[in-house]
Amino acid sequence: MVLWGKKMSADYTLNELMIIEAARYIQDGETVFVGTGMPMVAAMYAQKAHAPNMCFVIETGPIAPQVLPVPTSVSDPKGMHRAAKLGTLREVLGCLLQRGMVDVGFLGGAQIDQFANINSTVIGDYQQPKVRFPGSGGANDIASHAKRILGICHHEKRRFPEKCAYITSPGYINGPEGRKRAGIKNDHPDITVVTDLAVMAVDKSTGKLQVFKLMPGVSFEKVRENTGFPITASPHMTTVDLPTEENLRVLHQEVDPEGEYLGKED
Amino acid sequence: MAKAQNNKLMTAAEAVLRFVCDGALVGMGGQSIGRSSMCIYHEMIRQKKKDLTLVGCNLSIPMDMMVGLGLVRRTECGTGNLERFGTTHCWRKAVEQGKLENEDYSHLAMVTRFLGGEMGLPFMPIQSLLGSDILNIKSNFTGKKFEIINNPWNQGEKVVLLPSLNPDVSVVHVQKSDEMGNLIIEGFLTHEPEMIRASKAVIASCEEIVSSEEIRKYPERTTIPYIYVSALVHQPWGAHPTSVYRYYQHDPEHMQEYQKCAREGGPAFQGYLEKYIYSCSTFDEYLEKVGGLKKYNRLRQEMMEML
Repeated sequence: MVLWGKKMSADYTLNELMIIEAARYIQDGETVFVGTGMPMVAAMYAQKAHAPNMCFVIETGPIAPQVLPVPTSVSDPKGMHRAAKLGTLREVLGCLLQRGMVDVGFLGGAQIDQFANINSTVIGDYQQPKVRFPGSGGANDIASHAKRILGICHHEKRRFPEKCAYITSPGYINGPEGRKRAGIKNDHPDITVVTDLAVMAVDKSTGKLQVFKLMPGVSFEKVRENTGFPITASPHMTTVDLPTEENLRVLHQEVDPEGEYLGKED
Repeated sequence: MAKAQNNKLMTAAEAVLRFVCDGALVGMGGQSIGRSSMCIYHEMIRQKKKDLTLVGCNLSIPMDMMVGLGLVRRTECGTGNLERFGTTHCWRKAVEQGKLENEDYSHLAMVTRFLGGEMGLPFMPIQSLLGSDILNIKSNFTGKKFEIINNPWNQGEKVVLLPSLNPDVSVVHVQKSDEMGNLIIEGFLTHEPEMIRASKAVIASCEEIVSSEEIRKYPERTTIPYIYVSALVHQPWGAHPTSVYRYYQHDPEHMQEYQKCAREGGPAFQGYLEKYIYSCSTFDEYLEKVGGLKKYNRLRQEMMEML
């Protein structure tokens, strides 16, 4: 299939397209704060595919590295390769992020609720939880201070509860003015969550996530079935663009040649 | 003899005996799979230092071992995990069973608390955490975890105050030091500079000893001057299985071996400790068991290819 002169590929997985689509929300030249896992893979793809001047920032201190495939941790030297500076955690989370110099904060998450709040701490009672997750790390700082917030995760009902048991990282908290009431300076940021079924974004009039793109071949009904809260469709809902053969080549050859992320499910 | 007084080189056993007491508030350097001072932590485990409070940003494998052994009363951190290698199983189980107090902060919040500590101030402001359950009074273990105030110069702007943190002792592993303890840290620095300068005592292990002459010739390369450092332990490959930038990559096989034992718990976890810690009188014996020079050369080669 040829579209606008580019060869489109029908041979892709939704997992691959999720990564490619998430990367499309990063513009060349932007400063992007990235954790490990899927956000790292998608940000690496953006840097290779269309944003060569993107400035990677990693919480252990690397500023503007040319990340090698694929760091297993924020302290993996692969994330320090050819950086402009290897600094401190305070320098990146404090000086760059809290000061407001980061364009995009890129997060994964254990649970995301209808107001785009993220829980990566506990399920159940705090002092003796049913499930203990790793905790905030830099995620609370990123969700509080980045100008735009980008999330990526697989679309499963258990990952999208109506209300997070614990808000580790604030989305719109409990409504359109939730962040403002809490005193967060960046009170109405764009929040976009890309999954293997859809792209959701916060509707600023309600503070709630809404579907504004569907993955090719996925019905809105399927998204609704796999979401733990009553999700609505944007009146302008469209379909995610197909990947090109070149998109997939870059993803497989330059971003994840060993198939660490593409070869298996999250 | 000024020179002799300034020589802080000692064995790991002596450093732990002199500077870590039961009940200590211990600042942990490194992050996740990078630059943990495993040689010092092994010694703390052999000497059964107990009733500890462990603090840092990301607490990983050594914290998990000490929690699994019941040596820890409390942790304060931003995360407990090993990222791609999974969760810190002993820590997770202890928290879920209500056996361990853990106070959650974000990573910036933790480094902000060390920043207050290193400047001799009682608290430090931050604007993260607002609106999150990290500030929920129902979900914390500390009587007074934070205070929200109005910016005195801009009424209506909220600011969170966090209590400063001054560890009794911090434990770090660095690339280079002279015998006086002038530390050179290469690569990422994470929360270490603030934490080290906030600590009442500091044990540093290092890969390489350089001369004081070299330090004084290039003082701009010194990350931490000797005045903060209490003890220096020379232990090449002292961070295994974690990585040291410019020296060696982390050891994924050993990381997985530990994770398997920690996940299983019980005899598997005890077996790991017996094999790799209790039955070794020094860290060098441990390094032989995990693959010796052959393994070291491979991990070193992997690091060199990455630089």
